[in-house]
This record gives sequence, C-alpha cells and structure tokens, in this order.
Amino acid sequence: MSHMEDVDIEKTMAKAARAAAIFSQLDQEHTDRIVRAVYEAGFKNRVRLAKMAHEETGIGKWQDKVLKNVIATQLVYEDIKDEKTVGIISEDRQRGIVEIAQPLGPIFAIIPVTNPTSTTLFKILISLKTRNPLIIRPHRNAAGCSSETARICYEAALKEDAPEDCIQWVGEMSRAQTQSMMGHKHLALVLATGGPGLVQAAYSSGTPAIGVGAGNVPVFIDKSADIPFAVEQILLSKTFDNGTVCASEQALVVEQSIASDVVAAMQAQKAYFLSAEESARLEPVVFDRDKGNMMASIVGKSAVEIAGRANIEVPEDTRLLVTPQTGVGDAYPLSSEILAPVLAFYKADNFTHAVNLCIDLNFHGGIGHTASIYANDEDVIRQFALLMNAGRIVVNTPSSQGGVGGIFNTLRPSFTLGCGTGGKNITTDNITAKHLLNIQRIARRRVNDRFVRFDSRLYFDESLDAGAIEGLFNRNL
Amino acid sequence: MVQFVEKSGRLVCVFGGRMDTVTSTEMEDEVCKQAQGTTLPVAFDLEGVDYVTSMFLRVCMRVVKDVGKERFSIIHVHPAVKKVFKIAGFDREMNIE
Repeated sequence: MSHMEDVDIEKTMAKAARAAAIFSQLDQEHTDRIVRAVYEAGFKNRVRLAKMAHEETGIGKWQDKVLKNVIATQLVYEDIKDEKTVGIISEDRQRGIVEIAQPLGPIFAIIPVTNPTSTTLFKILISLKTRNPLIIRPHRNAAGCSSETARICYEAALKEDAPEDCIQWVGEMSRAQTQSMMGHKHLALVLATGGPGLVQAAYSSGTPAIGVGAGNVPVFIDKSADIPFAVEQILLSKTFDNGTVCASEQALVVEQSIASDVVAAMQAQKAYFLSAEESARLEPVVFDRDKGNMMASIVGKSAVEIAGRANIEVPEDTRLLVTPQTGVGDAYPLSSEILAPVLAFYKADNFTHAVNLCIDLNFHGGIGHTASIYANDEDVIRQFALLMNAGRIVVNTPSSQGGVGGIFNTLRPSFTLGCGTGGKNITTDNITAKHLLNIQRIARRRVNDRFVRFDSRLYFDESLDAGAIEGLFNRNL
Repeated sequence: MVQFVEKSGRLVCVFGGRMDTVTSTEMEDEVCKQAQGTTLPVAFDLEGVDYVTSMFLRVCMRVVKDVGKERFSIIHVHPAVKKVFKIAGFDREMNIE
C-alpha cells in the first residue's frame, strides 16, 4: 500500500529509488502500455474525480473540472503518446550525434488545490512516460481526491506490470517534512505547482526543481478585434471553473473609442459592472492587503456568491464581476491576481496608453506568465507581443484554455506553465514529458577540418586580431 | 535634443529622438542644472524618445537624487521605453506616469 498516514520519508524515498531502478529496464513498448492503461483509467474516472474535487474543496465547477480532467488525460495522452522517451531517440549520422533518453529518477510532485485531480493525472502521465517514479503531495484541502486519483492510476499501472511503488502519494506533511523530502539525496526533481512560497522552497532545496510563477494576465481588445467574439471568449475563459486557472484574464484593457461597445457586449454576456462604491466594498472581500495577495476564501467561488459576501446586490444570473480601475499596483489591490470571476477593467486614451497599462499589469505580479490580445491587425499583435514579458501570448483565444494548450492552439497541453526567469523559472515552456528526461549524447569523431589545417602557432601572434584570424581560418585552400 | 518649458506648474524637459550615450552625456549637466535651479516639480517628457541607453538612466537617477522622488516624474513614455524602465526596476525609484 503506497498511502502513508504518517509520512516516513526514508521509507518513501527507498521505495521510490527501487521503483526507479526497475523502471530503468523498461523498453518503449512496455512504457507506452503502462501510460495507455493509466490514461484510460484516469479518463474513465474523469467525472467521479471532478465531483470529488468539487465536493472536497468547494472550489470551481465540477463540470469544468471534468473538462480539466479530459485535458489532463485525453489531450495530454494524445500529445505525448508517440514521443520517443526510452533509449535512442534520435540519430544524426552527418553530425555524428546520437541522443539517448534516460529517466531522471524519483520526482516529488506538489499538487495545487485549484486543480487537484487534473494536475495529478497530468503529472502521473508525463512521469510514467519518462519512466520516473512519482511521489504525489496533495494539497491538505484536497488530499482525498488527489490521493484517489493517484490510487486509480497506480492500480492501472500495476496491471500493466509497472514497477511497484512507481506512484506513491503521501498524507499531510509538515513544512519541515516537505523540505526534508525536497532536499532528499535520492530525489531527482521537484515538480512544484503551487504558491510562491512553496515554489521558492522547492528551488531552495538543493534538488533540481521545475516550478511555476504567479500570473496577472492582461487582456487587450484592440480596435481591429471582433468585439462580441472577444467578449464572449473572455467570459468563457474567466468564468471557466470560476476563474481558478492561473492563465485566466485578470484585467481587461480597451481603448476609450471602443469602450462603450465592449461594456455593452459584456453586459449582454451577464457581466456586472461595479460602481466605485461597490468596488470599494468588494476589495476587502477578495484581497488581503496585509498579506498582499488574494483571499484564499474566495478562490473559485461564483460571481454571485462573492457579490453576496460583499453585500452587493447583483442579478442571479451574473457570471462575472467587473471592477473599473484607474491605476495598477499595490495602491490598487483589484489590479492584482484574483483567481475568481472578478475582472479589473481599464479604459485607455489610445493604443500607447493601453499597452503601457498592460506592461504595468504584466509586471505587477505576473512576469513571464501569460498575456492575451484580441486583434485582427498583425502589426498590433506583434507590437503587443514584443512588449509583454510572458511565456505565452495568446491571440484571439480564451487565455485559461489557451495558456493550458491543446484546445484553441497547438501549445503543448500542460498543467504546469513555465514563466521563465521573470517568474523565477528555468523555462517559459508548457512543461511536459520532454522536460523529465536526461538526454545523453553520443558524439562520434567528426573533425573540424579548418581547425586541423589551421596553423595554430598564429594564435600566439598577438598582432593578429579576430578579423585576421577569421580570414585565415576560413580561407579555402 | 532637449527643451525646457514650464507647463502646468512643473518644469518639463522635453526630449526627442535616441537618448544614446553621446546625446545623454552632452545634455546631462544642462538638465541637472535646470532641475537644481527650480523649485517646481520636474518632469521628463519622453514622447519623442524611442531608445535610451544606460547613460540616460543615469541622468534620470541624478535628477531624482537632486530633486527627490516626489518631485520627479516621467511622462508620455512609449511602451518600448517603459519596458526598459520596468526591467531596470526604475518604476520603484521614480514616478512613471
């Protein structure tokens, strides 16, 4: 039994190390059979797990969590199933380079409360595909559904003769235990999807880590955009699972000249525009000024429920609360990331002002994550993209689903979105199986003829500068 | 290169073109002299500026030091230049409108 109430780190790591050893013998065909079986088991349970997640956490909508589970199984499986991840994966005879894929070793996977079953399914699939044993650490408020997800996957894997303990899941861990696990000498990687504190702890552990950064996604509707379409897509995205996706829109920026059209289109989509007084009442309900971040209690709650907590009367069918803002930064708490159906709204004087606002929003807690634009003018799209610091700039696309990839674009489907160095991550990629491999390279002898022919004594002649050396080095004989 | 005008109760330094090392060095002393010689708030108008070097950032820092953060602002900045100030962390050192 891989479930431990009292986490014994040494025992867990010893089991993981043994699983890694057995895993290293598996060939591609056997590995793929295990992945297929796990995908099918996860997919089969997509609705039950979604309902479990919703009931246990009270976050989001179970119907949307079903779709998240579908992305994490069907779309992720489709994306990785034909990838070579075992043994020789490429051979370039001309360059004399052969690449060999090797597993990393045991991975410690931290699971967020916002996507407790989908992120578990996703991390299990990409880890098994790369023959890495996985230790799942669920969020304390979602331990039941994440553990059940892991159990289902583990049973399916064992039926295909996967290594014993290739998937383990642990009970509640203290901060010290988590740190001890992350720094364990037998651990190969921490796959940290969670809050900034946890990700920082992962990076400080001394074990290689792939983390994520926080988001604060600006979305800009340009004059050239199809406004009703853009608004429909933004509502689809920002209300998806009640706004729990870190790539969801946080602030909408439009030019003054189209603002009234956008407002009308949003109201037609059941967005409720708050007055200044209502925004002031909303702020302490959704944002903790002392801590400088969103209130955990409103994450993934519906617009109507949040409005109720702020004593704001809204129509029963309200889908989104929109709060007009005039500035960005600590003095404007509602310009920060709020993982709920609450959207800041800005009117800009012109394009330059609009892009400046988006830069401010992007740098206010969301560096490296995602930015969004609706436009039909290629120049505008390029200008915008060049000025954002975002791993993903999604175009005419709902950013929640667009950032995750696989539905509205060809980004690799992922529940761990790299945010680059701005987000303190090593990559801006959507993390997937390829990031969980050590690639060995056989380098055959391919002599650089120019170097061999070149009279190396010339390097000692200090009168020859780089240009002179290059000329001689590259001269045809 | 740079023009000085009093507008809306502040000394506005209007720059134009590329604020490269040579240009920034040439006007540094004059800009600082003007800033030190006024009791008005000072604003750098960058509407006509599409490129800045570290020398121009140095001029900004000198003026902030001379007149104080609360009396200095950067206005009408283009997004490409704004991004430079953001990356450099200057948005914490000075007011960028």
